[in-house]
Amino acid sequence: MEKDRIQRIGRLPNEVERVSHLTSRILLGRFGPLIIAVILLLTLPPFVPMDIRLMMAKFLIFAIFAMGFNLVFGYLGLLSLGHGVYFGAGGYTVALLQYHLHIDSFWIAMPLAILVPVVLAALLGPIVLRSTGMYFLLLTFAIGELFYSISWQARFMSVIGVGGERGVRGIPSVIYPDLNIPGLALDTTSFYYFILVGFVICYILLYRITNSPFGHALVGIREGEPRMQALGFNTWRYKYIALIISAAFSGVAGAMFAWHNTIIDPSHFAVGTSFLPMVMSIIGGSKVLFGPVIGAVIVIFVEYFASIHMRLRWPLILGSIFVVAVMFARAGVGVYLERLWKKVGVRYGNTKS
Amino acid sequence: MEILRVEHLTKEFGGVQAVSDVSFSVEVGERLAIIGPNGAGKTTLFNLINGQLCPTAGHIYFKGQDITKTPTHFRAHAGQGRSFQRTSLFLNLTEFENALLALHGTKPSRYEMLRNITSYDDLCGKACETLETAALSEKRDELVDNLSYGEQRRLEIALTTVASEVKLLLLDEPSCGLTSVESANITKVIRTLGKDITVLLVAHDMDLVFGVAERIIVLHYGKIIADGRPEKVKDDPMVREIYLGTDWRQC
Amino acid sequence: MEFFATNLLNGLSFGMVLFLIASGLSIIIGVMGIINLSHGALYMFGAYVGWTVAKQYGLNFWFAVLSGALAAGLVGLFIERGFLRRLYKQMNEQVLLTFGFVYIITNICLWVWGGVAKVPFWDPALSGSFDLAGLLYPKTRIIVICIGVVLAVFLWWLQDKTRVGAIVRAGMDDKEMVTALGINMGRVSMLIFFLAAFIAGFAGVVGAQLWGVYTYQGLQTLLFALIIIIVGGIGSIQGALTGALLIGVIDAFGKALFPDLAMFTMYIVMIVILIVKPSGLLGRKVQ
Repeated sequence: MEKDRIQRIGRLPNEVERVSHLTSRILLGRFGPLIIAVILLLTLPPFVPMDIRLMMAKFLIFAIFAMGFNLVFGYLGLLSLGHGVYFGAGGYTVALLQYHLHIDSFWIAMPLAILVPVVLAALLGPIVLRSTGMYFLLLTFAIGELFYSISWQARFMSVIGVGGERGVRGIPSVIYPDLNIPGLALDTTSFYYFILVGFVICYILLYRITNSPFGHALVGIREGEPRMQALGFNTWRYKYIALIISAAFSGVAGAMFAWHNTIIDPSHFAVGTSFLPMVMSIIGGSKVLFGPVIGAVIVIFVEYFASIHMRLRWPLILGSIFVVAVMFARAGVGVYLERLWKKVGVRYGNTKS
Repeated sequence: MEILRVEHLTKEFGGVQAVSDVSFSVEVGERLAIIGPNGAGKTTLFNLINGQLCPTAGHIYFKGQDITKTPTHFRAHAGQGRSFQRTSLFLNLTEFENALLALHGTKPSRYEMLRNITSYDDLCGKACETLETAALSEKRDELVDNLSYGEQRRLEIALTTVASEVKLLLLDEPSCGLTSVESANITKVIRTLGKDITVLLVAHDMDLVFGVAERIIVLHYGKIIADGRPEKVKDDPMVREIYLGTDWRQC
Repeated sequence: MEFFATNLLNGLSFGMVLFLIASGLSIIIGVMGIINLSHGALYMFGAYVGWTVAKQYGLNFWFAVLSGALAAGLVGLFIERGFLRRLYKQMNEQVLLTFGFVYIITNICLWVWGGVAKVPFWDPALSGSFDLAGLLYPKTRIIVICIGVVLAVFLWWLQDKTRVGAIVRAGMDDKEMVTALGINMGRVSMLIFFLAAFIAGFAGVVGAQLWGVYTYQGLQTLLFALIIIIVGGIGSIQGALTGALLIGVIDAFGKALFPDLAMFTMYIVMIVILIVKPSGLLGRKVQ
């Protein structure tokens, strides 16, 4: 007994070795589903009709939006109905740069499309985080609608901007970004791969974030904010930072959406847009990173079919999806899939022995 | 050397003074128990010291600094550790995850966003060690929600004690709801703490109080009515009057 | 003087309709702790049903009001019994579910009644203007104000002076305790929800006389209602009334003095209140 103890002082305890060993095993297992999905995503597009390709791009875009949103919703536990603001901000940045300043370059547009929502979140954060629970929800709702109103009124946000004509509301149209790579102009297929690369980068970033101490702290705050504070965590700061990060991802999605959709309009600021990532997170499972991705795929898929067969009834279907998601998707599809991978030890994207 | 001083501390809730002009000071290494009937203001006092509540009047000095207006997390960094009366562990996380979070609270790495939390070998090691000391390591990856109440309390006390250089332990009813065996265990754990750690204890369990405390403060309707060595307090007539007929073991 | 009086009356009549909408929502959020975002859609649905009864069947206006209110009440009851009842205390789920119903109800209204807005359909006997000390003011708006006052008094009586009201107010504070006293909170909740939806539908038909019926009213009305209860305070009739009249008057004067700002004034007041006094001017803290 004594001899064992002395021996163990000299090296790390068994547990730590087990943990590090397991980490690498889980990393491989963790990326397993991602690898399968990426293979599918990589190989299908050139062989499918254009509108299916566009649909696939769309679900990647919304997957990014939903994952970013879920950082605040699922991990941190805050229901923000104002994420449309950041999404719209990203989209409008791209559109206005193109329309007013004739800047097509991706390398300028994308960073700005991230910066503007980040600045907005940084400014709105202190206002919005003063309340919790229901008031937080209502406040974010109100701010979203405020932006919607502003964008209807603001002259600089409409296409026909000059000459005091009031009441003319144009909607900017958007063309694919210029990657500044000679000879490479985007068409729907290459645009798809461009989005795919963006998605993979976003996913990896969010994976690191959710598995980091910061990510774990967010979950802790969700589970018990008073105790987290008593442990030394400045919980307000975490919420603020998480909001900003989430806004950044929303901005990325918004920019991509503008390119994909070719138009961006005030409704993208509104609460309707804010509900989409929420329903996607709930359907797919808000407690896991890839949950919102699955949710996004499902919702966009259904939207695609609705747009072919019953375009006018889409809101009815979407509303019904909301209702069904709430009443039946208790934990979300993603969590059921999680249990499938139980032997590899995946949960909350964390390690487990 | 003084570690905590409370001066004329008052907390009013709409006309009712939950804590009324309370003053006392605590030396490093002291074992102080705060007792009193239900509603006497014990947990409110803790909330004031730890920062969950802001006092209506009065000052709190911790390690010589005026911390009256500082937020809770600041006080944690200053060296306060708190366990709550109702289990406040993260129920949907495992023991191990709870331990990791508890240990990260005052580390700069808690803002780290790109490294996996399990890559911090020293913290992982310490977490495992803590679980082992609390005899909870077989259930390391069990959700805390699935643990028995006694195990949860044991875990919470263990984590509070070991979390980052805690110098002042605020234990709010640590043995609440525990069997006498588990209670005795808690008593033992507290007794084995080093003399560099000060312990403030709110309790109804008199075995625990007399087993641990060197000094007892008795609160009644928010005021201190007795403050001194356990034997002296036990014989104080006013204290007897308040507790006469009351079951000492209520929680 | 005329400017002031006209706008004040405009504001009051607008405010009264807002009060009708908001009072129901306020009680639901305050008492049952349910965030019902479909409240505005119920308003709109009531308005459409009222229109159908008055215009398509040519029936008496007040009968149309009753039908609209009843229709809205029934739909509200359906949502509560079928779905919301199972989501006790789950705010996120309630929000998503009721917003889903906004989409559903709005789309159904679009489907059935088409996208063209419906114009006011007052009983012709009620059109024309009153002469108020030299100021000619539409009869309809005066009647709306009167209806609002009557309803406000009725609801206040219900809240403060009846046994039901007392139960409701107690339930706001401690539902478990009320249940322990032998009162069937489930049935009370159902009644309250129906009443709130009923009033929303009622407000829909009445409001339709001021500004018609159109399909984005579902969301817009919700917004108004939320702004009012945030400003006025959740859970009390007085709060809803204060908020509604305040917002109504501010909006009327705002539109007259700064037409560009329109909805802004309301949002800004709301946001300021949410920051400064989140429980609203006359509100109590609700969890």
